[in-house]
Formats: sequence, C-alpha cells, structure tokens
Amino acid sequence: MLPALLVLVLITVLPFIMLIAMSFAKVRLHGGVSLSMNGFGNWSDVLTDPATWHSWGVTLLFFVLAVGMEMIVGTVLALILNSMRRGQSLAFSLVLLPMFLAPITVGLLGNFLLDPTIGLYSWVMESLHLVGAHQSVFGSQTTAMLAVTTLDMWEWAPLVALIVLAGLTSVSPSVLEAASVDGAGYLRTLFSIVIPSILPVLLVALLVRSMDAVRYYDIVHITTGGGPANTTWVISLQLNEKVQATAVDGITTLIGQSAVIGITMLVFTIIIANVFVRVLDRRGLMK
Amino acid sequence: MSNTIMTSPRTRRVASGLAIVAVLWSVIPLIWMLITAFKPQNAIRTSTPEFLFAPTLVNFQNLFSGGNSVGPFIVNSVIVSVVSTIIAVGLGVVAGYGLCHWKSRGKKDLAFWIISTRMAPIAAVIVPLFVMFRQVGLIDNLLGLIVAYLTFNLPFAIWLMSAFFAEVPPSLQEAAQIDGCNKWQAFRLVVVPTTIPGIIATAVLCLVFAWNDYAFASSFAGPSSQTLPMTAGSLITQTGVDWGQLCALGLITVLPMIVVGLAVRKHLATGLSMGAVTGE
Repeated sequence: MLPALLVLVLITVLPFIMLIAMSFAKVRLHGGVSLSMNGFGNWSDVLTDPATWHSWGVTLLFFVLAVGMEMIVGTVLALILNSMRRGQSLAFSLVLLPMFLAPITVGLLGNFLLDPTIGLYSWVMESLHLVGAHQSVFGSQTTAMLAVTTLDMWEWAPLVALIVLAGLTSVSPSVLEAASVDGAGYLRTLFSIVIPSILPVLLVALLVRSMDAVRYYDIVHITTGGGPANTTWVISLQLNEKVQATAVDGITTLIGQSAVIGITMLVFTIIIANVFVRVLDRRGLMK
Repeated sequence: MSNTIMTSPRTRRVASGLAIVAVLWSVIPLIWMLITAFKPQNAIRTSTPEFLFAPTLVNFQNLFSGGNSVGPFIVNSVIVSVVSTIIAVGLGVVAGYGLCHWKSRGKKDLAFWIISTRMAPIAAVIVPLFVMFRQVGLIDNLLGLIVAYLTFNLPFAIWLMSAFFAEVPPSLQEAAQIDGCNKWQAFRLVVVPTTIPGIIATAVLCLVFAWNDYAFASSFAGPSSQTLPMTAGSLITQTGVDWGQLCALGLITVLPMIVVGLAVRKHLATGLSMGAVTGE
C-alpha cells in the first residue's frame, strides 16, 4: 500500500503545494521556473475582477441546468428501461453509447449536427420552424447555453440512468404489488414508493455529476469557445485563458491568478466530495 | 431485474414507444457520424441531408495519408492510455486492498483525500503540472501525459478496488490463512482472483478516461506526443472543416471504447458511481 500512496503523494500533493505557492507568487517561466512572492496580489486581482464573478455565475447556471436536466432525463430513461420486458439489454446498451465518446468528439458532433447550413439537426429544427434559416444555435445568446448543456446532457444522462437503474432493481416487488392491489396509479406509486426508496441512489448520481460539472471544459471550448458575448464563459475557460496568455508571455502574474481560480474550483469540489463521503458513511459503506 | 412498476398492457405500449425514442435520441448522432465517415465530400456539404450516396473510404485514406497521418497519433494514444492504466491498476489493487482493510482512525481522512484527488477539477491540476513539467522537460513528452493521467486514474483505481475488495467475504481470506497461506499469499492467490472482474472493470474505466482526455493533452502534449482527441480538436480550427475526416476520426476514437466499455457493462454502475452503488 505504501508505494502506491507515495506515488499518489508525489503526483497530487506536490502539485497541490505548488498550486498554493503559485497563488501567492509571480511566476517566471523562461530560463527555468522561478517564483517571487507577490503576497495577496493575485488573490485581490482575481477576486476584484468582474470577469471572475461573471464566469462563476455562468458556471453555476450551467451547473444547475446541466445537472438538473441530466437527473431528470436520466431518471426518466431508467424508468422507461426498467419497465421494458423484452429487448431491455439491447436498448440499454444503445442508450449508454454516448458515454464512451470523448467529450471533445461530442462537442465536434454538436458543431456538425447543429451547423446552420449543413447540420442534420439544424435542418430538422428549421423544417419544424424552431429556428430561423441559417441561424446558429451556438451564435445566439438565448440558445448557446441551452445547446452546450444539452450536449453535456446527451453524453451523461445515460450515466444517471445507469446508476438509477441499479437502485430501481432494489425496490421491493412485494411493496409494488401491495400498492397495485391497493389501487395506486402509476404516478402515485412512482412518487410515494419508488422515488423515496431510490433517494440515496439519486443523491449519489447527483454528487457524481456535480463534481464533473465543475470540471466542464472540452465541449464548451470546442463549440462556443465561451461566446457569444461571454454567455457560456465557464470558469475553466477563464482559468485556461490566463494559462495560455502566460505560455506566450513567459512572465506575468497571470499564472498566479490562474492558480487562485484553480483553488476556488478545488474548494467547490471538496465541499461536494465531503457530502459524498458523508452519504457513503451514513449508508455504512465506509466501515 | 424482474420487478417492474407498470403492468397494464397500455402503459407497457407507451413504455415501448418511449424506449424507442430514448434509443433514437442516443444513437442518431452516432449513426450520422458513422454514415458521414463513409460519405464523399459532395454528399456531406448539402443543405438537405443526403441519404443516398456511393460509400467511399476516401475520408479514412485522407486521415492516414501525407505528413499529417493520424497513424503515429493512434500509437501515442495507445501508449499513454495503456501504460497509465497498467500503473494505476497495479498500484490501485495493492493500495485498494490496504484501504479496504485499514483499521486505524485515519481511514476516513485517507479515503476523503483519495476521493477529492480523483474529483479535483482538471484545471486546478493543469496549472501546477504545467509549470513543473516545464521545469523537468516533460512538456511534449509521452511520459508527461502518463504522469498527468495517473493524477486521476490512480486515486480512481485505489478507491474503486477498495469498493470491490469490500465485497469479498473476510472468511475467504481467513480460510486461506488457516490452510497455511501467509497474508500476502492469501491476498495474491485467493482474494485477487475473486476480484478479477472488478480489476478488469477498473482497468477499462481508467483506459476510457485516459483515452478520451483532451484538456491535459492540449496543455502538455505537442507535435511529437499528439493524441487522438487532440488531433480532433486541432482539425476544427483550420479553415474549412473537413467533416468527413472528423467523423472518420471520431469513429476510430470511439469504437475501441465502445467495445471494451460494453464488455464490462455489468460493472459500469459500480465503477462510475465510485463504488457507491452496486450494479445488477
């Protein structure tokens, strides 16, 4: 066990210490890396920058929309699959397929399907008069966010379905039978028996997707690039922009600022991870 | 999976209809990618979708020809994802077993540290690794990418293997030890073989995570260490996107992952919920 933990320390604790150090420093990259102290300069620069707060706002909006849609669609998918008598295995495998794509491929496919002149889905939506002719959904401030969240949902709602389906198999058949004998309808059964008994599993799915949603980068980077008018400028784009600028520049306080943003993202994740471990603990999974 | 909520034939018909919609929603983009990969250029750039065309391999030929052939990038992708997976799973099996049987009070803290490491935003890891890699010459180096992928695959493998080991009854190991095995032999000869399916599932997921990475690769890799997702990302920035080539590349990238992923479908729920729920 020890060698593995040593490697883990080396590849995670060392970068973490570096991250903290850089957040208080000016970092010079040319001619060997060197750090010179900058006090709370980076922190005050980041925290007083309206762009930081804007991108956190965008991230939260994305977070709520994407995770919310994934939970709802994923649960519905699981309920549909669970009620199938024949072909369940095949249907399930097909529904899961998007999960195996690289997120960058999902973004590229989104660009292709929603291309205003040659996209398959653009053509369908134009035919249904949902969008105007040759109008890009990624180019409009009202639809860009919806488009990038839908792409993320397309890839990851199947994961929620997968987790929820595992929970549905543990709903006691005799309780369902009793409900049916008592004349409870589908929705009544769903909301008073099924959902309460799969709540822990729903919570696990919610936490797993939440931790991923903070990391969201690939799809938005390749589709909107943060636009139009920064409406999809999530926090990881804000961080990445500073790193890219540093790579060109060599010396700036920008890399220190990106470290500050990295730390704030880390804090956000740690809070969620904390809840996750508590949930496992309460369910006796961390004996 | 025998318990179902709906029983009446009418609701069942509704469910079948919805299942078809769900399957179509998931697979249409993939089928369109598959079709486009075999389309000639003039059948792709049409304002109304073209369904009748003479299938061609020209997109694949373009991908593998000339100075920008993706051949070496496939090799890079295979090397970095396979090597990082082998290291992560090798160390993860040992450490996961240790974590599972850790009796002291620090267990919760240790477990918490491991899971936060796995879930750390890639962006937060990229910044310090970028600076450190520059210092030690790991930029545009396959070894750098392998190390970078270990930052998420090693904690994942430790955590997940610990969950799989927790399902092995302790009596199994005790019996082996009564039969004369020492602790290490009992672990190697009795406990590990019973968790082989778990080990394979862990390996497959590590492989998928590393194979599909774009953020690390686009920050650390360069011309001599380019991977497939990076290649896909770079194709779109050039003027005039060649969708046929992109779809062919997307197909090449996703097919191996679908094959290995569906092979461990039974364990996907456990794996992707970090062991918090157990599958069928």
